[in-house]
Amino acid sequence: MARENTQSIALDGSADSKVAGHFKRNRFAYVFGAIVIAAGTAIRIYLDTMGFTVGTDYYSEEFQKYWMPVLYGELILLSSFTIILSVYCWMTRETDASSISKELELSRYWKLLGIFTVMGIWAGCVASNAVESDAAWHQVTIRDTDFTPTHIVIFYFALPFLTAMLIPAFIWTHTRIPAYMNKISVPFLAVVCGILMIMPNYGFNEWGHTFFYAEELFAAPIHYGFVFLGWSLFFLVPLAMQLIGNMARLIAETTAEDYNPAAE
Amino acid sequence: MSEAQSTGLSDVEVKARQLDLKSLDNPRAMKLYRRFDGIIILVLFTFLVLGVQIQFTLTAGDWDYWIDWRDRRWWPLVAPFSLLLFIAPFTYGIWERVRLPIMATAVTTLLCLVSWLSRYLNFYEFTHFPLSFTFPSTYIGLGILLDCALAISRSLIVSTLIGGGLFGALVYPINWSFMAPYKVPVEFNGMLMSVADMMGYQYIRTTTPEYLRIIEESTLRTFGGSVTPLTAVFSALCGMVVYAAFLWVGYKINGLDKFTKRIV
Repeated sequence: MARENTQSIALDGSADSKVAGHFKRNRFAYVFGAIVIAAGTAIRIYLDTMGFTVGTDYYSEEFQKYWMPVLYGELILLSSFTIILSVYCWMTRETDASSISKELELSRYWKLLGIFTVMGIWAGCVASNAVESDAAWHQVTIRDTDFTPTHIVIFYFALPFLTAMLIPAFIWTHTRIPAYMNKISVPFLAVVCGILMIMPNYGFNEWGHTFFYAEELFAAPIHYGFVFLGWSLFFLVPLAMQLIGNMARLIAETTAEDYNPAAE
Repeated sequence: MSEAQSTGLSDVEVKARQLDLKSLDNPRAMKLYRRFDGIIILVLFTFLVLGVQIQFTLTAGDWDYWIDWRDRRWWPLVAPFSLLLFIAPFTYGIWERVRLPIMATAVTTLLCLVSWLSRYLNFYEFTHFPLSFTFPSTYIGLGILLDCALAISRSLIVSTLIGGGLFGALVYPINWSFMAPYKVPVEFNGMLMSVADMMGYQYIRTTTPEYLRIIEESTLRTFGGSVTPLTAVFSALCGMVVYAAFLWVGYKINGLDKFTKRIV
């Protein structure tokens, strides 16, 4: 598979125009970036429209009709997405790292950066739309359930979706890129685990909230679990340095004047 | 004596370095370097936005949501504490690896951008509070001071003492021009209060503990007017300590730029 793929890879020698070449090279990031922005916009419009109209009373028929199916749909969609993609990445893994040419390896790094770009776009959407929507909601609305509309969006879709992208990306990287095969990148693992563990931490958060209905201090200690797990993003710098080091080496090698792919 | 012997590097490492240096004269390689620099900066910054938003919202958010919450005792203390804690590990990594004193400015600017967007979408559009009541504070000037201290001194210790101290001490003065109109005294039903207090009474946050009281409590308003400088000095001390502690965290995390064979 690796040898076949090598044939289709061009570093910069495409006959396309500059703009067409740019979009072609980055089609993964553009297509999936557009999909996640569309998904984020759609769920945000739903929250704006249905949040305060049918989402303030968990025991009402409207809530059960308009919000709980959204929650169930998200859980099914995201768990299926994660499991199917992870299993696919594992089942189609490379078994022989030596069969991967330098061009193919470099092209996979570019694809990994594309995957990270999509996750980055989603991270930006979550930061600007989701995080403080929960803050604003809880400072004006009585808490009568763990499944408030803002929780259904942020706890059960926005952050899990980031995890749902990170886990297959982690498996893809460790089964496709020779520098990561047969070993585990510690900073990458730390980022994945930190974001993943935010979900079990909902338990601590919601358990804390069962003590009171109407005191929403956002700097309260029951929220510090999220803060601590968010610190896993500190590992992005060593992860970026790993990628930069490996990609710089590959670029230097594959663009050298005396580079001969056939000699590999 | 060969180059490898004189530098203490292996032949392979010397060859890789020579290849790296040679690639700097190769326009094709430089184009690819610039491309991946751009993508990595984009990805790093979008994840930073999420990280700082989670961190700041859940540790100092309350003091940043409402103008009447920006008191003289807690806000100038918790805001720089929370920010320095997040900035330090990134500053350590980026300074040690690529010698760029930019992270404090980057984090504070990104926080400013995402906070404005978030306040508009969540507090103004979603829960209908006026923006004049919920606009975010600014910390960009503090970030620039911290980065300048590092750029000029080129020492993490000196920048901790000077930059960390200034970051803590100058929160109130740097926001003073935004806040001055809200500190004008008014009389309401025979009580002396500020415009900010009045707004807190008028725009009721029904589920917060502060929905019907003045934020500045106990002896704060009878303390002879020295509360602000006292807090600034204490905040400077906290700034130095927390910045130093989390630079150490950054040092440890950047040391984990490695691979492992097994997770446990």
